[in-house]
Amino acid sequence: MKTFEEKWTAWLDGQLSGRELIEFESSLPDLAAAKVEKRDAQKLGAFLKRELGAQTMSNEEFFSHQLRERIARETEDPSRGREARSTWWTVPRLVWSGATALALFVIFGIAILRERQPGERSEYLTQILNSKVDPAANPNATVSIFESKNENKVTVLWTEGLQSLPADYAAQ
Amino acid sequence: MQTETTPAQADVSELDLVKRCQAGDAEAFDQLVIRYRTRVFAMIYNMVHNEQDAWDLAQDSFVKAWKSIRRFKGKSSFYTWIYRVVMNVTIDWLRKRQIKAGGAEFDDAIQLKEIDPASKTVPKSDPLPHQRMERSEIRERIDKAIAQLSPEHRAVILMKEIEEMQYHEIAESLGCSIGTVMSRLFYARKKLQNTLKDVYENV
Repeated sequence: MKTFEEKWTAWLDGQLSGRELIEFESSLPDLAAAKVEKRDAQKLGAFLKRELGAQTMSNEEFFSHQLRERIARETEDPSRGREARSTWWTVPRLVWSGATALALFVIFGIAILRERQPGERSEYLTQILNSKVDPAANPNATVSIFESKNENKVTVLWTEGLQSLPADYAAQ
Repeated sequence: MQTETTPAQADVSELDLVKRCQAGDAEAFDQLVIRYRTRVFAMIYNMVHNEQDAWDLAQDSFVKAWKSIRRFKGKSSFYTWIYRVVMNVTIDWLRKRQIKAGGAEFDDAIQLKEIDPASKTVPKSDPLPHQRMERSEIRERIDKAIAQLSPEHRAVILMKEIEEMQYHEIAESLGCSIGTVMSRLFYARKKLQNTLKDVYENV
């Protein structure tokens, strides 16, 4: 079902014929006024064609030259990029790159974790920890060890209630 | 649309040029550009009313056409297809410019309300004598009147009146229905009749 606007446009452009034309014209309240408006619209069309249809382009050759250069520039560069990507980023390369990155991650991860763990005990400290305080000689003796986590890695041996320092505690 | 050669010759050679373009032949595309550059430029110029903008948009349109020519299946004529590219580029540009300008230049809703579909166009009481009116002034009046239309209405009236394209060709170029084309044509004509009556009656 055509709208009034569609029918009017078709009528104006001479696209209505036969029964459709008769029906449309008979539906108009003032056919004479409509015909005046039709002529008016046709005048407008002719006027626009005359005034705007003569629009020309200066420097046509330069336009084509500029366009050729632009097309050459825009089509060459992306193809180079695509070519470079297609030769370098093949599937096997992607797999190898991924595996290498994973291996490096694991190695560095282990190294960092080991770095954070306390260092091996010195022989001296092991000896101290293994030594026993005689409870008969030193009934209230306590021996505490503090180890700082900073870069200096200082170990503090805190003794309390000892009558004398056991021979094992002597620095070697 | 007028062609420089007979329609049959133009169609055959044009199709051949398009096929060569699709195979990557830039020289064939250059031939198509030569064939359409003036019309494309004029069409865009009549829509944007600025020579430099029209030049740039015509360049953009042809570059876009070159990049997407492999997608042209030949279901419609090449000029309908190239006009579709041109219209997409130009209407997009006009819409973006409208947004940047705050949307004051044209407004479909307001314009359509202003026009009574059954209104009769009445000449203004004191028309400017055509003897005094310079060509540039006429052009300025036309440009101002067209500038009041939305990009889609501009496209429709220009393709119909200047390019003499059929409804279905305009519809293909704009990617809309024939009914929409006819409706837009109705309102665009009414608007221009109202605003340019005194000019075209006296020139």
